[in-house]
Amino acid sequence: MYLADLFAAGLAIGCVYSLVALGFAMIIRATGIIHFAQGELLMLGSMSALSTLWLMPRLPAVLVLVCGMIASGVLAVAMEFLVYRPLRLRRVPLMNVITATVGMSILCINAARILWGSEPLRYPELFSSSAYGIFGVRVSPQLVWIMLFGVVLMGLLQLFLKRTRTGLVMQAVAQDAEVAQLMGANLTRMMVYTFAIAGMMAGAAGVMFGSLFFSFFEMGFVLGIKGFVAATLGGLGSLAGAMLGGIVFGLIETFSAVYVSSAYKDAIGMVLLIAILLFLPSGLVGLWKRRA
Amino acid sequence: MTRIVTAAILAALFALPLFGPHPFILHMLSLVAISATVALGLQLLLGFSGQLSIGQAAFYGIGAYASGLLSTRLGLPFPAAFAAAGLAAALASLLMVPITRLTGAYLAVATLGFSILVYLLLKNEEWLTGGSFGLMGIPRPSLFGHVLTQPGHAYLLCVSVAALVYFSLLRLERSRFGRAINAIRQNEDAARACGVQVTLLKSQCFVIAAFVAGLAGSLYAHQVRYLAPTDFTFWKSVEILIMVVIGGMGSLFGAVLGAAVVVLLPEVLREVGDYRMLVFGAILMAVMLFGETGIAGFLGQCLKPFSKR
Repeated sequence: MYLADLFAAGLAIGCVYSLVALGFAMIIRATGIIHFAQGELLMLGSMSALSTLWLMPRLPAVLVLVCGMIASGVLAVAMEFLVYRPLRLRRVPLMNVITATVGMSILCINAARILWGSEPLRYPELFSSSAYGIFGVRVSPQLVWIMLFGVVLMGLLQLFLKRTRTGLVMQAVAQDAEVAQLMGANLTRMMVYTFAIAGMMAGAAGVMFGSLFFSFFEMGFVLGIKGFVAATLGGLGSLAGAMLGGIVFGLIETFSAVYVSSAYKDAIGMVLLIAILLFLPSGLVGLWKRRA
Repeated sequence: MTRIVTAAILAALFALPLFGPHPFILHMLSLVAISATVALGLQLLLGFSGQLSIGQAAFYGIGAYASGLLSTRLGLPFPAAFAAAGLAAALASLLMVPITRLTGAYLAVATLGFSILVYLLLKNEEWLTGGSFGLMGIPRPSLFGHVLTQPGHAYLLCVSVAALVYFSLLRLERSRFGRAINAIRQNEDAARACGVQVTLLKSQCFVIAAFVAGLAGSLYAHQVRYLAPTDFTFWKSVEILIMVVIGGMGSLFGAVLGAAVVVLLPEVLREVGDYRMLVFGAILMAVMLFGETGIAGFLGQCLKPFSKR
């Protein structure tokens, strides 16, 4: 029973990491930018959704999630439009754009501290508190809903990328921007879509994490790093890998916190990360690609 | 021309304590010199050899704690602790040398992982490092049996080390080694085809940068005389990275300028209170518009009309 609980908790937090990692992977694939403000998008989405909840306390959970996604999506597009696009048009080196994302992250953290204060803010209960019984195992409904939302969101994203014209064009741009442009893809518009989707994923992750623990102005920092690590774990630039990486990272972290040491739970993830980078440079996805 | 300017700046820096400025100003300038030292090391790694490390704070922290522990627990004199700090950081970097095979974002995330690892060790191994309470009572630096109690003397020490590192790296940049790593940065495959030992040189850059960061860490430990794990988080690594990029990639003088800006700007912005980091973030993004050359390149362009060709 205890094992099942841990497994559920690991999966749920893994879904959160997967969503953040997806955003990282999408932006890296399309632009090469390591988007350090990704965690801050998550934080801002979480905060905005919480503020909406304060205004409308009876909002259903799904709509709260949507609120967070819209807020982060809009902010991500604003970042792209106001900062990253001018930088790209001036053709500054990638290193400068990456440093600018750090600047953006500092800006967002401090703006949030001024707007929402520096105290951790607790989410009201979004879900009923009585445990669900699944196959005789009692699991907290929060965890179930988070996993459900996570899986649905990732499924929708995959459908969008694989089945719609816009999604396919986005994939093409990510593979080779120049060729895609020659074929008539609108690069500028695809960048906006990429950032919008990455922002929405981060916003959803923010609401999920906020409802599990709490939200505060510095939450995005650690979660952003973990998302980045998860994306690398799966092999940067592969979306399926990012999802897998997030879930694996969530499970490893949860189990090692209990069975190894809670003080070193982050360290175990990092050791694993370095080992994977050294011995399996294309990430977890490389495992079966090599065989195929 | 450049030589005269460099000599003038150095002379001004060394003469400064004679005018008896406020001790706080001397302290801040010492911190600038220390940060400049770390930034110079990262400039070699990132600006010259093109390897992005966002974990320099780990080596900085290892150096600081090594020096602090050796002088408090074992009573080692400052010069010995200083050298040991550099060596400790360099040894730790040897552990990480295999990762120089990685490129771009992968190298970045591996160094990031290492820096988080070191931070957790500093925080959790209380028997050694004092944990979150920090390491207290680190003695002031002493040279030849003479303790540097005056802020002016400590300042001179920090500036001397920074200057020494600056000129060593300048020599290195213009040597065969420097040309080889420059070739690696521009095109790794082409460099390898020309017979440059890419992996070896990249690892050497990594170790040198860590060694320099360790030395700076030792200076920091004896300057501030209190170490806490929170001084060496991921943010510190990012700060060092900002110094290099804001100052101008590939320019040693730029790294020094960048260090001055990053250390002093928040102090100058203290007037705007709560909004200071907000303004800092905005300025950082604005400076990035200048392109690869950063502040150093911007200054160079301003001075161009005055220098004879």
